[in-house]
Amino acid sequence: MQSFTYIRPSTPAEAIAAMAGGGPGTRFLAGGTTLYDLMKLGVEGPLRVIDITRLDALARFDTSGPHELVFGALARMSDVAADRRLKEDYPALSEAMWKAASQQLRNMARVGGNLLQRTRCAYFRGGAPFACNKREPGSGCAARDGMDRGNALLGASDACAAVYPGDWAVALVAFDAVVDTLSPRGERSIPLAELHREPGSTPEVETTLAPDELIVRIRVPRSGAGRGSTYHKIRDRESYAFALTSAAVAVRLSAGVVAEARVALGGVATRPWRSPEAENVLLGQPLTEDVAQSAGQAAFAAASPGVHNAFKVELGAQTITDALMIARQRAEQP
Amino acid sequence: MQDKTSRPSPLRGAQSKQETAGEPNTGGGLLAAHLLTRRQFTAGSIAVASGLSALGSACTGCDTPARSADTSVRLHVNGTRAEVDIDLRSSLLDVLREQLQLTGAKKGCDHGQCGACTVHLDGRRVASCLTPAVQADGREITTIEGLSPEGGPLHPMQQAFIDQDALQCGYCTPGQIMAAVACVREGNAGSAEQIREYMSGNLCRCGAYAGILAAIQQAAPEIGGT
Amino acid sequence: MSHPDIPRVDAREKVRGATQYTADHALPGLAHGMLAVATIGRGRILSLDTDAARRVPGVRMVLTHLDTVGLQSAGFLLGGGYGFQSLQPLLGAAIAYRGQPIALVVADTLEAAREAAALVRATYEQDAISVTLDAPGAEILAQADSPLPKPAFADRVAGDADGALSAAATRVDATFQGPPQHQNPMELLATVAEWSRGELTIRESTQNAEALRHGLAKVFGLAPDRIRVLSPTAGGGFGQRNSLQAHTALVALAARELGRPVKLVVPRAQIFNNASFRPASRHTVRLGADASGRMVAAVHEIDHQTSRHDLFPLSYADLTARLYGIANFRGRERLVRNDIQTPGFARAPFEHIAACAFETAVDELAYALGRDPVAFRVANDAATDPLTGRPFSSRHVVACLERGAERFGWERRTQAPGSMRLADGTLVGWGVALGAYKAATAPAIAMLRVTDAGEIFVSVGGHEMGQGIRTAIASTVAVDLGVPAEAVNILVGNTGSVPQHLTAGSWGAATALPAVHKAALNMLRELERLAGNGPANRTFQQILRDAGRSHVDVEARHHAPGQPDAIFDRVAQGLPAAAGPAYPDFVSMSFCAQFVEVRIEPRTRRIRVPRVVSVVDCGRVVSPRTARSQVLGGVVWGIGAALREVSEVDPRYGGFVNADLAEYVIPVNADIGTIEAEFIDEPDPLINSMGVKGLGEVVMVGVAPAIVNAIHHATGRRLRHLPVRVEDVL
Repeated sequence: MQSFTYIRPSTPAEAIAAMAGGGPGTRFLAGGTTLYDLMKLGVEGPLRVIDITRLDALARFDTSGPHELVFGALARMSDVAADRRLKEDYPALSEAMWKAASQQLRNMARVGGNLLQRTRCAYFRGGAPFACNKREPGSGCAARDGMDRGNALLGASDACAAVYPGDWAVALVAFDAVVDTLSPRGERSIPLAELHREPGSTPEVETTLAPDELIVRIRVPRSGAGRGSTYHKIRDRESYAFALTSAAVAVRLSAGVVAEARVALGGVATRPWRSPEAENVLLGQPLTEDVAQSAGQAAFAAASPGVHNAFKVELGAQTITDALMIARQRAEQP
Repeated sequence: MQDKTSRPSPLRGAQSKQETAGEPNTGGGLLAAHLLTRRQFTAGSIAVASGLSALGSACTGCDTPARSADTSVRLHVNGTRAEVDIDLRSSLLDVLREQLQLTGAKKGCDHGQCGACTVHLDGRRVASCLTPAVQADGREITTIEGLSPEGGPLHPMQQAFIDQDALQCGYCTPGQIMAAVACVREGNAGSAEQIREYMSGNLCRCGAYAGILAAIQQAAPEIGGT
Repeated sequence: MSHPDIPRVDAREKVRGATQYTADHALPGLAHGMLAVATIGRGRILSLDTDAARRVPGVRMVLTHLDTVGLQSAGFLLGGGYGFQSLQPLLGAAIAYRGQPIALVVADTLEAAREAAALVRATYEQDAISVTLDAPGAEILAQADSPLPKPAFADRVAGDADGALSAAATRVDATFQGPPQHQNPMELLATVAEWSRGELTIRESTQNAEALRHGLAKVFGLAPDRIRVLSPTAGGGFGQRNSLQAHTALVALAARELGRPVKLVVPRAQIFNNASFRPASRHTVRLGADASGRMVAAVHEIDHQTSRHDLFPLSYADLTARLYGIANFRGRERLVRNDIQTPGFARAPFEHIAACAFETAVDELAYALGRDPVAFRVANDAATDPLTGRPFSSRHVVACLERGAERFGWERRTQAPGSMRLADGTLVGWGVALGAYKAATAPAIAMLRVTDAGEIFVSVGGHEMGQGIRTAIASTVAVDLGVPAEAVNILVGNTGSVPQHLTAGSWGAATALPAVHKAALNMLRELERLAGNGPANRTFQQILRDAGRSHVDVEARHHAPGQPDAIFDRVAQGLPAAAGPAYPDFVSMSFCAQFVEVRIEPRTRRIRVPRVVSVVDCGRVVSPRTARSQVLGGVVWGIGAALREVSEVDPRYGGFVNADLAEYVIPVNADIGTIEAEFIDEPDPLINSMGVKGLGEVVMVGVAPAIVNAIHHATGRRLRHLPVRVEDVL
């Protein structure tokens, strides 16, 4: 790891000022579970690190508001996962938290930084000799024609098929969450659906955030489908693993048919992946297993598998189906 | 075989000794002494410039220093307070192990993938290998050495790990125990299924998982969840 | 002699975090090392640029192949040497595999060493590589035609397998693929090297302290008695720590040149690519049964990987020839040379995957014959060893199967695949498989001391790596001398005392315990002699004091049946000297029966193992508590090997791609359900005075095929590779 300068502001304004004064090579550091990890691997090498974990103002969250749930960017994943109201009202959001990583890492990682976790693609993390356009723009993509079992079927480009590995953002995108940011230019709000970029020809640029922009909070508008939701995650082991496939689904049923449907996918796409195709299959239909299967298949209609990940078309569809069956049961509970 | 009646009677007062490998254990007992011989505590805070704490810079111009100490942090470890000079790049795990000789927390992966380095930071279990030591400045740290007094009674979780043989090689054990204590305190030890899930961040290659589950079930009533 | 259920004797120290593993040693002036490794799969270094690394503040040394003049390789453990491979990195510019070290950086701090190692730059001339069994350029060598010693590594043949097979009424022919897998003990490979007055002390967790000592002696041209190796407790071994590692001599060299102790903790990713692993293997099994359902012929043909520089021998058919009483057997084993580090032993190194290939084929044959898989196995048990015709010293295979079936509730199983699904559509499968493992024995010397202060010391050849050898030794002494187990102070893994033969192959107990037992009996005799006609009912201390003695020492030696006493010369040279399973008058093996339930989700097809019953015939159980833990751990290994673990290879690059503990998925707590362990606990009457066979590896053998068979029972699919993952059952 190369040396860096360390700065520890105590307010968001100080953090922004520090970033403005830092220039290129300056990074915000929160829980460290992604950035410090990648620094150890030599994949990231910031010159200046701004530690934002003492910005206590950003650590609070409130799931009781009448119009929206508000999560300060520095709320801990473990605290959000344990929130009773969230478990009852938005089980998908809670499950996306506790099914991620381990309790140790959830105690460290924060809900804002979690959105920005970087891909687990072994060719990205592994460094030399692997070509990786995300790590070294223009160097090529070793995953193409390589071990692509973990790579994306949706949203990939010739330059990169690295999967967005997170869970929380997948659940958030299903609920139309919004991210509030702060920068020297002031505050702005970004729909979560617009936060992450597909790789295109510039896979090194993963989000629409400016380099000096700090996520300060996440807001989730209340939804009638909250209680009828789940985050279903299929992994290579029962816990402490990234998703092979995952589905955040939420439904509201009315008069025996689906009145509101939200479906998002993880583990299979280059960004948190909302599937209007699946939602359209569901709307207005009774939520039978057959309808759920059709929705699952619709979500993968545009999938373009590689060599070792083709099974995810079927697995992903079944994951959605399972999730919809769980969600239906919850939605039907009085 | 011998005739039983002619056997000498059992040894009374037979004593146990540590392995005679030539050096004493450096367990928690040395911590206090070590800390007290390090630099004096400084009362003041860190230099503050325009509202920002600039905690030093990279050690590029140093002339072969013994230790590329970039900054000082105040660590409260197992009830002892000390100011420690650290390299900004150091993980909390490496500072505990290499500078404070608290070697109970173990390095199994160095990337937050195994849980062997688990310690409590402000009462929460964390992966100390992925915690920059500088982030622990001013925080309360508890390691396995601080879980029970040296020479005193074991923590109920430690005793349960012995009773249930919840270990083999012992390398992951300090991390397992620190995670297990936290698991109970968090209220995540309500069922076997919940314990298994909330203990899945601690790998055990010997495969002592069944014993670990049983140990937590044994100790949980004595510890009590929050 | 009954053995009480005592707690693990080193558990108290372990739960306090007080046990010292290699990297826990703090020495004055300690410097930290870090390796830089090759990024090509094969070729040679053209140039090395270490300037940037040397400029990092705190860096004291950058060792490269230009700095190792006069050093020589310690040789390969299975080629008369001491190393996990014969290739000692940094002795030349040639690169044989990706991940081979090209430099060792030593600095005042770990941070500086790490930074500098990342700055070492090399240019290479690169050759084409071949890293898989089927890759172009892989050289195939029949073991029978190889220079490997015979008959140890000759083909296993009994009767006329091919003739009997062609005449068989029912046949099965299946090819099974075993993946490369890594042992991944939790403790990282590490070394602390320190020189003092020309003498070298190595602290390194190992299963083979003597090989480290003699190997380093050879590397440095030193007398072995100037080297001391200390390995009181290893954080897991599983075969990966059974010889001199690639880095150890380099750390020792750096410590000598710097005049400071040096510590190297090898990062997990580097261990994947620069230490031993379970090689990929391919098994073709052909079985034939006669009209009565008796297995009459078996052919087992195996290819497995080795490196270009070493021949890592195969020993798969040695197991499968003995699982059943099949009169006609032919095993054929071939080495496939790849551009990899030399593979090696991993828990049940050959037996796990050999049994998987064979026992899935046996299951298929049972189904082809319409026979219950347990009954079929019982009916085909062996009366004598098919390879040698000798009797087994003990063989409780049928008891294992019957006891396991009863405990598992096997009679409630319905034979047809897919016939046991639950109301919600969950597929249920029940599978069984046999396991077996050689009951090997290595020579051991035990020294026992009793002092007038009431202390008991025992020193014996052996290494504690979690299996519980200390507890078994303590229990043996405690029972023999009538003292509490916690009173017994044990010295193992220390070359400063008695010779430390490799502890592996499940021979640890059968090696150390008979020697310790004999020493304890010698001690009792010596104390009786000292007691003479004095007052009765005195303690040991009183007898010693009355006799004017501060202490009494006794020594005992034990070796395998049929070995000459000269075998101790090999032990003294740090060379492997184990024998078995074929002894002059009998064949000795441990056995187990594994019963597994799998449940497979109806839609996403996640495979879970809620329940395992494992019944083991390992001879006498000396340490019930640690023995049970060995069984549970072996089952967890079987689950991991069957359903989780594969070291992924990218043939373009060599090395392993998923080289960390996030992407190489070993089981976690949530993966493990109920495991019931039961022992036959019948002392073996012939193998040794304690009646102990082996335990640590047999408990893994059979788990994976029982799972694969259960998956067949659940789904009707015959899967012929590991690991079985969700994509295989969708």
